[in-house]
Amino acid sequence: MSANAENDNDNKKKDNADSIVAEIQKKITDAFDIFDHESNKTVDVREVGTIIRSLNCCPSEAELHDMLAEIEEEEPTGYIRFEKFLPMMTKVLLERRYKPYPEDQILKAFQVLDIESKGYLTLEELSKCMTEDGEPFTQEELEEMISAAVDPDKKVVLYKDYPPMLAVEDT
Amino acid sequence: MGCGTSSRKAAMGKTEKTIKAAILIQRWYRRYKARLEARRKATWCIFQSIEYAGEQDQFKLYNFFNSMVEQFSQDEQQNALLKVFGENQQRSLVATMSPFDLRKEEETLRLADPSKIPVDPRYDGPVLQFPINKTQIKNLITAFKANKVIHEHYLLDLLHHARTYLMKLPNINRVSTLLTKQVTICGDIHGQLNDLFVIIHKNGLPSDDNPYIFNGDFVDRGNNSIEVITLLLTFLLDPSCKVYLNRGNHEDHAMNIRYGFTKEVMRKYKEHAAKVIAMFNEIFCSLPLATIVDQKVLVVHGGISEHVDLRLIETIDRKKYVSILRPPAFEAGLGNPKQAMKMKDLEEWQQIVDILWSDPRAANGMVFNTFRGGGCYFGPDVTQRVLAKHSLQLLIRSHQCKEDGYEYTHGGKVLTVFSASNYYEEESNKGAYVKLMRQKSTDDMPICHVVQYIAQTKPGRRFTITERTSYLESSAVSSVKERIIANRSALTAKFAEFDPAGTGIISSKQWFKAMESVMGIDVPWRILKPKLVSSEGQNVLYETTFQDKRLGYKNEEQIGEPSVTESLYRNKEILETIFRAFDKDNSGHLSMAEFSEACQLLVKHANITLTQNQIRDIATSLDLNKDGMIDFNEFLEAFRIVDTETQEMREKLNSFEIDELKRDKKKSIFSRCFGGRWSNSLY
Repeated sequence: MSANAENDNDNKKKDNADSIVAEIQKKITDAFDIFDHESNKTVDVREVGTIIRSLNCCPSEAELHDMLAEIEEEEPTGYIRFEKFLPMMTKVLLERRYKPYPEDQILKAFQVLDIESKGYLTLEELSKCMTEDGEPFTQEELEEMISAAVDPDKKVVLYKDYPPMLAVEDT
Repeated sequence: MGCGTSSRKAAMGKTEKTIKAAILIQRWYRRYKARLEARRKATWCIFQSIEYAGEQDQFKLYNFFNSMVEQFSQDEQQNALLKVFGENQQRSLVATMSPFDLRKEEETLRLADPSKIPVDPRYDGPVLQFPINKTQIKNLITAFKANKVIHEHYLLDLLHHARTYLMKLPNINRVSTLLTKQVTICGDIHGQLNDLFVIIHKNGLPSDDNPYIFNGDFVDRGNNSIEVITLLLTFLLDPSCKVYLNRGNHEDHAMNIRYGFTKEVMRKYKEHAAKVIAMFNEIFCSLPLATIVDQKVLVVHGGISEHVDLRLIETIDRKKYVSILRPPAFEAGLGNPKQAMKMKDLEEWQQIVDILWSDPRAANGMVFNTFRGGGCYFGPDVTQRVLAKHSLQLLIRSHQCKEDGYEYTHGGKVLTVFSASNYYEEESNKGAYVKLMRQKSTDDMPICHVVQYIAQTKPGRRFTITERTSYLESSAVSSVKERIIANRSALTAKFAEFDPAGTGIISSKQWFKAMESVMGIDVPWRILKPKLVSSEGQNVLYETTFQDKRLGYKNEEQIGEPSVTESLYRNKEILETIFRAFDKDNSGHLSMAEFSEACQLLVKHANITLTQNQIRDIATSLDLNKDGMIDFNEFLEAFRIVDTETQEMREKLNSFEIDELKRDKKKSIFSRCFGGRWSNSLY
């Protein structure tokens, strides 16, 4: 391979990398804009978690907190500016941090909670785990989750069907 | 059963494992919820974007009418014009209080005399007698809940009384809460009777102690505009009720012909529809324009602009503005040559447009509202200055649908309140009303209690968020698909640009570029992409952009030429508006005479030559069921049939091709003669 061709190849790679970054940044811009209610390139700090997660990331609450601390103004205004959000988020997505777990992992997690291996969780069992363990759900989150998960006849959560039901198609 | 160390260890391990599992599920669920939320917001953007695009079209269409009217008045052919547009349309198009119009008004009142309309003894609907009292109002509500329609006799009688009452009111209502301690403010209701019922149910009927301000947009869009406005007017006329009505941008004939109120009246009142519509136009232009509470809170439908001057607004003769979409620019041509007068009119008109059509924005300053086509976007600094200039503390306005039914902006100085729940679609938004509470000290800012609700349209279980989102989303996606099909040719051309080899594949990036540049609506294409087009990895099979089962669209049109289906979708609303404008007796049909007069007017404006015979040919070819009348379906059908017409027909019509339209060989008579013209002026 001649030096020229190699150079060409390098350039192509670089172009390709540039276009990947550009596409990622467009994605981030779109997600941000949806929450930018006043169209002034800021969003409410309380909605940043939703934006990050809507970009297919699964950070823990603590990790989310760190991310926020990184982009918040020195004197917190309650708003996050796009120019701070974009570089942080680009990096996260390029490094593929906080990637979501595959469905079978989620299923396994449900199986761990189902101590007696019944194949289902009662509403009490699920509520207890979700509101007491880990990064507890708020009452609102819990109710929403249950309303979608519960089998209307048996009043239990047949968790095998749940992950696929809630699978979000990849965009 | 064991109780040794090892089992404790196992228990510990188990707990840790459980916690890990819980965290895993929580994170996964939160991501899921977030993505759902993003989809929901995206859906919201689409609805709003499409709604405003429609309003923009309407403004442009009206400007087209106006320039046409102007040309005619210059030609001193008013009579021809007045013949073409029906009685009601005349007043909205040439809405000035010239002696001629005064005569028209008297004529309207005479024609709409309820005593000339007998009530069938078998009629079992609601009955009104004046003066109105609480019992009658309660009976009216019961009747409306049972889906009864009020008889035109009683309706017209109510409208006459309401008109007399409204005419005496100033342009700006002044309300004091000294005695009542509070006042309730409702935003857009848009013919959604259930929302009005919910408000009354939660907040009580209006009375002396329970005053209400209804802040415009009572009619259009919903199916019960008649019932909503009837109830509001009976509240207004009941001497024991304190009710104030502000005019909204939909209390306007030019909006009603597009957004449903005119249609509703025609459906419910058939042969008396014309009188009812004429009387409603009288009512709408008699409505006050704003309300001020305790000299502190300004309540207007849209908002303000830098120029808004309430003292000036107080002096306007509001009856002149039958339609607000019309600038008074051509008045001079109609026998009022005083230039100074004209300037004053323009200024007045601008004030009304600004308070009825404007929206707040986050950035300082003020720009023309290009999304809606009228009014402005006003920044927090404008709010600050205008409020200060008038020694006011708060602006309460409506005009924009909000997810929560209300929204504070401009540091709490502007409160939007919107009372039509499920406005875009089932579950799309809450409705809200505001209770403005009087403070002990008159210097204190009044306190606003916002009450939110969702009117239940159908009984049954509540949807989960997931179901709601999917439902809303599919409805929004359909609307986008319709617009995509309306822009098929331009999109196809753009795709071809990116795909010169004709592989049918372009990159996602190129697809986004095409959508953004052609579609002219501000929607999150990246989020919508999977719903709109099929992909292969990072590439897009762009032809699938045009597939939509719901619309039954067939892929048979020749690519590259604007198709008939396309013109039809693009122009349907516009054509409907034109149709209603030409239908001068509001009969729902165009007579042959109405049609040919309309043609002549349009043709004249578009500089096309068309002989009487040719017009008759078109008209006859449109009258599909040969009943001598053209109904709206036939009017629309013109797009399709003429497209397949023979060469003979085409040759006949060659004479009215105009240069800019010559390249569109496949276009129908209508898209050639009118549609093309609209397309060029509108898009």
